[in-house]
Amino acid sequence: MQSLNHIVTFLSSEPAHNGGGEEAQHELPNLVTILNEYVFGGTSVGEFLHHWENAIFSLAIVIILVVVARFAYRNPQLVPRGLQNGVELIIEALESFIVGVIGPHGRKFVPFLGTLFLYIFCSNLAGLIPLMKAPTANVNQTIALALCVFFYVQFTAVKENGIVGFVKHLMGEPRSAIQWAFVPLMLPIHIIGEFAKPLSLSVRLFGNVTGEDILILIFVGLGVAVLSFTHLPIGIPLQLPFIFLAILTSFIQALVFMLLSTVYFAMILPHGEEDH
Amino acid sequence: MDYQTALAFALPLGVAFAAIGSGLGLGRAVGSAMEAIGRQPEAYAKIQTAMIIGAALIEALTIYALVTVFLLQGKIGS
Repeated sequence: MQSLNHIVTFLSSEPAHNGGGEEAQHELPNLVTILNEYVFGGTSVGEFLHHWENAIFSLAIVIILVVVARFAYRNPQLVPRGLQNGVELIIEALESFIVGVIGPHGRKFVPFLGTLFLYIFCSNLAGLIPLMKAPTANVNQTIALALCVFFYVQFTAVKENGIVGFVKHLMGEPRSAIQWAFVPLMLPIHIIGEFAKPLSLSVRLFGNVTGEDILILIFVGLGVAVLSFTHLPIGIPLQLPFIFLAILTSFIQALVFMLLSTVYFAMILPHGEEDH
Repeated sequence: MDYQTALAFALPLGVAFAAIGSGLGLGRAVGSAMEAIGRQPEAYAKIQTAMIIGAALIEALTIYALVTVFLLQGKIGS
C-alpha cells in the first residue's frame, strides 16, 4: 500500500525540478522524469535532462527514422522486398497525395512535406509508448515546425513569382482601378494572414496532442485510484479506449499539418500552367 | 467574486461554447461531404481531402479556446 500511495502522489505531483513559472505536469512520467526523481535528483545532470527533455525525445525519434531509412536503402533492389517495400509504399502514398494537391510541379516539395508528416506522426505516437513522451506536446517544438513551413513557403513565393509578383500577390493581384483602390485594405489583411498561418498550424498541433495526453493522464490516474476500493493487485487500464482515439488523432493531426502546408505551397505557386 | 473564481467559471464555459460552435460547423461540413460522396462516389479522394482541410480549420477554433485554458489554468490554483 505504501508503494501505491507513492505512485498516486507521483502521478499527481509536479516534477521534482520544476523551475518556477512553468505549467503543472500534464503528462505521464517518462524516462527523464523518472531518472530525475530517483537517480539524478537535484544534481546538474538532472537539471540538464529536465531542461532538454523534449530535445532528447525528438532526437531519439529522428535517430529511429534515420536508422530505418538507412536500413531500407542499404541494398536497394529494383524489385523491392521486405523493409524497402514497406518504406516505398509509404513514400509513394505521400507522393501521390501531395502531387494530387499541388499538381505535377509539386514533386520537389515531397521530401520536405513527407519528412514533416513522418516526423510529426512518430512524435505524436511517442506519447503513447511507455517511458516516452510526445515532443509535439510542447509548444516550442510545434512553433519550430511551423516556422520551417512559414519561411520555406515565403522563400518559394519570392523565388517562383519574383519580388514584384510576390508583392502583387500580397496586394490581391489588382487589375482594374477598383481593385487598385482596395489595395490599402487588402495588403494588411494578406500580411496578417501570412503570419496567422504558422500561428494556427503550431497551436492546432500543440493543443490536440496536449489535450489527448492530458486525457490519457487523467484516466491512468483514475485507473490507479480505483485500486483503493477494489483491492486488485494491479490497476485497471481505463485509458485503453482513449489510446485508440489517440492513435487516430495522432494520424489525423500529422495529416492535417502536412495537408495545410501543402495547401500553402499550392496557393503561392503560379497557377494555370498544368497541361490537362 | 475575485478573478480566480471568475476564471474557474469562465474557462470551462469558454471551451464548452467553442465546442458547441465547432460541433455545429463540423456536423454541417461532414454531413455535406458524406452527401457529396454518396452522390459521386468516384470523387471520394478529392472530397475527403477538402473535407479534412475544412474540418481542421473549424476545429482549430476550439483548440484556441483549449490553449487559452492551458495558459490561464495556472492562475486558478489556491
